[in-house]
Amino acid sequence: MWKHYTSISLGLCALLFFAASASAQGGFPMGSVAPSTSQPARANASAPTGGMLESNTFLEMANRVFDPSSDSMDFENGSFEWKGKNFNLSEQRAFRSRFERFLLASPTEEEEQYAKLMADIIDRLSVSNNNSDDAILDTWELLFRASRFDLDGGNSTIVANQVFNAWRIRKEARGVTMSQRELQQVRQYQQEVVANRAMALKNIREKRLRESSSNQRDEGEAASGETEAVTSEVAFRMLDLAETEARIIALETQSAMTGLQAKLQFQSQIVSFMLQRRFEHALVLAGFYQSIFKGSHQSLEVGKDQLQEFLPGSDLAFTVDSMTFIAREAINDVNKGVDAVNAAYKEDRNLIALERLQEVFFLGEYLTELNKIPTDQRRHMLDLYRGLIEAGELAEAKDYDGVSELANEISKLADDFPKNRVLSAVQTAKSMSDMAVFAASQYRNLGDIDKARAELQTAIDIWPSNPAIREFQQETTKLATAGSQGVQIFDDLYKRMDRRGIYERRMDLGFALAEDTQRRPLLMEVVEQVARIDLLVNQSKELVKQGEAYAAWELLVEAAKVDPSDGPMNQARAELAPRVADFVLQIDRAERQSEDGHHAGSLAAYLAAQDIYPISRLCRQGIQRETEALMSGLRTEESL
Amino acid sequence: MPPTKLPHIRLRRSLAVCLALALSFSLTACSGGKSSDLETLPIDTYLEKPGDFLGNRYVLRAQIDEQLKWEKGLGRVLAVVAEGSDARLPVFVPESVGENLHVGQRYELQAIIEQGGLIYVEALHKY
Repeated sequence: MWKHYTSISLGLCALLFFAASASAQGGFPMGSVAPSTSQPARANASAPTGGMLESNTFLEMANRVFDPSSDSMDFENGSFEWKGKNFNLSEQRAFRSRFERFLLASPTEEEEQYAKLMADIIDRLSVSNNNSDDAILDTWELLFRASRFDLDGGNSTIVANQVFNAWRIRKEARGVTMSQRELQQVRQYQQEVVANRAMALKNIREKRLRESSSNQRDEGEAASGETEAVTSEVAFRMLDLAETEARIIALETQSAMTGLQAKLQFQSQIVSFMLQRRFEHALVLAGFYQSIFKGSHQSLEVGKDQLQEFLPGSDLAFTVDSMTFIAREAINDVNKGVDAVNAAYKEDRNLIALERLQEVFFLGEYLTELNKIPTDQRRHMLDLYRGLIEAGELAEAKDYDGVSELANEISKLADDFPKNRVLSAVQTAKSMSDMAVFAASQYRNLGDIDKARAELQTAIDIWPSNPAIREFQQETTKLATAGSQGVQIFDDLYKRMDRRGIYERRMDLGFALAEDTQRRPLLMEVVEQVARIDLLVNQSKELVKQGEAYAAWELLVEAAKVDPSDGPMNQARAELAPRVADFVLQIDRAERQSEDGHHAGSLAAYLAAQDIYPISRLCRQGIQRETEALMSGLRTEESL
Repeated sequence: MPPTKLPHIRLRRSLAVCLALALSFSLTACSGGKSSDLETLPIDTYLEKPGDFLGNRYVLRAQIDEQLKWEKGLGRVLAVVAEGSDARLPVFVPESVGENLHVGQRYELQAIIEQGGLIYVEALHKY
């Protein structure tokens, strides 16, 4: 692979800048990087294809697992769906705040009293009970007691005011009715007066006609004066009558308008309570409405648009009764929901309990039925809720270590939490990121800087805090700086035959000597030698573990032939020597004798060593070599 | 001018030379390899420093353990186990001396220590 090192210094600097900026900013400017179209590295690199896919898969998993919200809650659209009814869900943060406040609160005696009072009020307004004016008035007075509770939020006062307003309007209507009756009597009188005056005028005209033939012109003048007086009085009386008629019509219109206004205000408030999930107050107000207004006035004439949103797709006529029905159904559902939450909690299905609790909480936030959830259970749910949210945020930030840690904590709070799924996904994501870093290293070493950059981008996208990215950066930094000093370092080390030193700097030197045709083969040779020593030393250690001390020693002897001064190899020999001292003694003797030309003595020592370790390769080769030397010497003597 | 030596002194010198020659001949005849009066090779000492035994002759009673090498016209190198020792020793048996040698056979070897500490067998016979 050395031939690929040419002309990569500039690219290395660019990559270094890329890695450094990514490390500093925790991410990369996507605009400056071409879309990742990298293929797996052809050499040893195996680039992770679809790294982003993996990242997204993890996030999807995290969203599913760590989102404690119920499926019926849609924070994006801000809606909560319950049995085909859509409630306006507040912003997630606001909802979370209210939910956490509920989980932190404890049921109080005051709340219990309030619950009883509201139940009493609703019961009194039931059609099956006494609906006399006095009974209604007593019930109305209870509203002021209810409004004194914090839990009520002053809504009972609103109900009381609505009822009072309706009563006032009704009283005013009674006054109007009386005025109308009086005016009608005046009108009747005026009509009679006008009618009498008309009769008198008619009589006068008939009389004039009868006397016309005998009357004299003078007398005619006197009769004409009487007729004119009667005509003008009739005109005045008719004017009075018209005035009275106008006043009657005005009073009738005022009465109708006032009644309609009271009814509309009532209906509007009922709808408002429903949409606010104040189901108890909606029931109370509907009860008063039914006692105040006639049965024919039950159709809702206001809030139709809001009700269409509340009940999408419904073509039913909205009535006060239908609102009452929905309110009762909601209260019943909250009751059942609370029971389900408690049952799930008892069975250690805490994750399910939390999901259901959120639904129940949203629907019955203003209902005292939620007090059936005990304090310690609320605290447990709170811990779980906070843990899930925090884990979700960590997952969003791709802090996999944090996610794993929290997943373990959450699983202690909820047995039904899918911990293994989370840990598996974390491990997969980490592996994919590591593989991308590895591929980036390989591409960098091959000099393909563009692909290296793309792989690094993938690694960061999957796991921004991957420690391998930091290592990659440091390694790249070293490579960049080694370029200028590499030649001198290599010459110094090679002069001292410090093979190990060269080997440890092989990457740096590899880049530095990429174009140096003289030194590069030497570097390769040294790297191969030390790699062989390392291989032999490692194999030797394995054999020692298996109790094969003599075989291990033989490997170290082989390693010593490559570089007798190698530190790790000599350390391994020093550690092993006491265990194979007898064998080593004979081998050393054999070698010494051989050096002195005493081949027979050497052969004898090899034979003795072979007796200690019969399958010794060293001995077999030594015996063969020394025997040959002996025979050679004898042959020479013979020829002389 | 120095005084001339006496005739009887010359006679004594001649006799001494003759005796020395006779003794020398008898010793040479004995060390011709056919006698078993030779010392036994001190194996342990030999293994430590074979160079100290160069030129000496010894007798060695041993069993053939392995034939290490054979060369036609030259001879063979054997590994033998000496009597009274567990150590194996290399010996060279020239073709002129050797018979049909088999692993496991016991021989009394008369040998000289040659260059390089080689135990060069001059004669052998089974026992």
